[in-house]
Amino acid sequence: MRQQYAWRSNTLGGILGLIALVIIVQIVRIQNSEEAAIFRQRALNYASELRTFYPDRGEIYDRNGHLLAGNITVYEVGVDLTTVKDANAIAMTVSVELGVDFAETLALIQNPPEGLSYLVIKDFVDAEKAASLQQLKVMMQEQAADGALGSLTGLEFKAHPQRSYPEGALASNVLGFVNREGRGYFGVEEKYDTLLAGNPVHVIVPTDPNKAVDIPHVPDGTTLVLTINRDLQAAVEGILDDALDTYGADGGTIVVMDPRNGEILAMAVTPRMDLNQFWNYGVIYQNASEFNPAISMPYEPGSVTKILTMAAALDTGTVQPGTQFLDTGSILVGGINIRNWNSEAWGMQDMTGCLQHSLNVCLAWVSTQMGAQNFYGYMDNFGFGHLTGVDLAGEAAGRLKVPGDADWYPVDLGTNAFGQGVAATPIQIMMAASSIANNGRIVTPHALHAMVRDGRQYSAPAQYAGSPISEQTAGTLSAMLAVSLENESSLALVPGYRVAGKTGTAQIPTETGFYDTTSTNASFIGWGPVDEPQFMIYVWLEKPSASIWGSETAAPVFSQVAEKTVILMDIPPDAVRQQIAVK
Amino acid sequence: MNLQNVNLNHFVHAYKIAPWRIQRQWIGSVLLAVVTLAMIAALYLDVTAQAAIAGREIQDLTAAIAASEQASADLQTQLAALTSASVMEQRAEALGFRPMETVEVEYLIVPGYTAPKAEILAAAPLPQLSAPTISPEYNQSLLDWLDETLSSSSSGGLQ
Repeated sequence: MRQQYAWRSNTLGGILGLIALVIIVQIVRIQNSEEAAIFRQRALNYASELRTFYPDRGEIYDRNGHLLAGNITVYEVGVDLTTVKDANAIAMTVSVELGVDFAETLALIQNPPEGLSYLVIKDFVDAEKAASLQQLKVMMQEQAADGALGSLTGLEFKAHPQRSYPEGALASNVLGFVNREGRGYFGVEEKYDTLLAGNPVHVIVPTDPNKAVDIPHVPDGTTLVLTINRDLQAAVEGILDDALDTYGADGGTIVVMDPRNGEILAMAVTPRMDLNQFWNYGVIYQNASEFNPAISMPYEPGSVTKILTMAAALDTGTVQPGTQFLDTGSILVGGINIRNWNSEAWGMQDMTGCLQHSLNVCLAWVSTQMGAQNFYGYMDNFGFGHLTGVDLAGEAAGRLKVPGDADWYPVDLGTNAFGQGVAATPIQIMMAASSIANNGRIVTPHALHAMVRDGRQYSAPAQYAGSPISEQTAGTLSAMLAVSLENESSLALVPGYRVAGKTGTAQIPTETGFYDTTSTNASFIGWGPVDEPQFMIYVWLEKPSASIWGSETAAPVFSQVAEKTVILMDIPPDAVRQQIAVK
Repeated sequence: MNLQNVNLNHFVHAYKIAPWRIQRQWIGSVLLAVVTLAMIAALYLDVTAQAAIAGREIQDLTAAIAASEQASADLQTQLAALTSASVMEQRAEALGFRPMETVEVEYLIVPGYTAPKAEILAAAPLPQLSAPTISPEYNQSLLDWLDETLSSSSSGGLQ
């Protein structure tokens, strides 16, 4: 009996063991079959995906923390072709909501290009419209029968950031813009494009949550803090727009800079562009140099250059403030007769008088007395013909012809002395003149105040580009310019503040090589307070029709800008400052 | 007394060599091994499931952080638009304000006052959300741990 049970048990055990063995063999066989290799390969293909994480573009603030360029969320609306239930409903909805063509969209959804599983209907859809579509999709799903799919199933939304400029056209020439591919154009957007954009990170992300390696930390692009004062920028742009109306100018540029460190406080130009509609660029501008004439449009600045000629002459000892000059109304330089702006003789003048009355003859005499080598040596040191290094994209170097150049003639020594026959941008002239306002030291103009990255703020230090003149020369010339404005009761004067400056009325060369006899470029450069300069202002009005003279157009604009500057930058009048200094 | 001892010894010996007892010992051993394996498998399943849930939560939280950051950037830009220079100017004018003239400004000397400087925007550094902050215990499977332990002990032996 016991034997019988043992036999049965052994038989049963053997059968079960055999079954187990067969199962194991089958498992091993399946796992090592060709099909298993294919499945493993397929699984591997879906086990991970290479993803690129694009950091959010860094923001741009003004010096007081006002946002000038930020990011908003927009949506890419697309169709997942593998889950589409009702192509007609989707095409109809997006054509109504997004304005795309119904027939074209329907055809694309029904007959997509081969191998395509996702179709982009429209990108950069604003959040409001995307939310409306999403709501509609949910409603359709709710209305569908139990277990059935809504008719908008397959309509997908992918959020991504887009550049936004809350101030619209304000400081558009300084900021530049970012196109839809994320590339910066002009201004700081182009100059600091790499910093702002940050570094995309490519990571292989496993889809298996068991292998949940952490999503990599992608630091945002660097945030920039500009030296621009938003309120001053807005005020200066307003003044410029008014000036164009008042004086009938074709265009204009006003730059406000701190001559002590080169910080650009405001830079207004015309025309300006709403940066949120950057696609209008081609409509507004004919060429790239028009985007920011302050740095990219060299012109013959005219008499504002006289302050540099005088600086060089004083520094070399060629003249003193009291040096007398008999103005006969003309002077022969290189065989060409040079005349004053009104073609009259001004008689005996000292150097302050020459600046006060802006006498071409006197300054041409000064440059010839100095000699070409000295004169052009100083102009080179002042930065004429060189880039200033301002941190805005698209800067032009201008042109200073020097002896030895094929197109340089001896008369140029005379005409260059009063700013004709030389091309410079407003920012170049400001940089050169900063040496006079800043005790002989030239500052490099810049728009970047600081950058913020990974929670740390790095300040951009002031940079100096040499000392072409001595501190004594700078002080002497500043005083001469202040006196010349006061003697003339210039429209540039600012109540309560002593300022130094110089007008410029320049003839405009035409394509024929001659000067336009009907229109001028009116300019003014000035700074203050003279004893402790805290602002330097450059005004350039193109072809003013109300008056061709800088003293009647650009000078009063300087005064208006200076008044706004001292209020918004909290610069007390001279009397108050002196009172503070005494205490 | 001796007889009693002999009988007891015989009984113990017979008990020890009883076939059913040996079978039970074998069955018990096998069952113990099966239960042990089942417990390890259950533990492994539990740890794996928890790791999967944690992984999914990490993915969800990361998506939530990204969404929050985008929403924050949106709101910041909207706020900037609502307080832009042109809007503020219009609001000020609507309230009856006008731009100040230089002659209207009164300056007071306040001892110890320092003029405001340009904005400092740097915030406290964000926590580092990269992989090194997660210790292996949170994303390592039991087999991974076993493999690592074995390989480290074997490499330790070679040194």
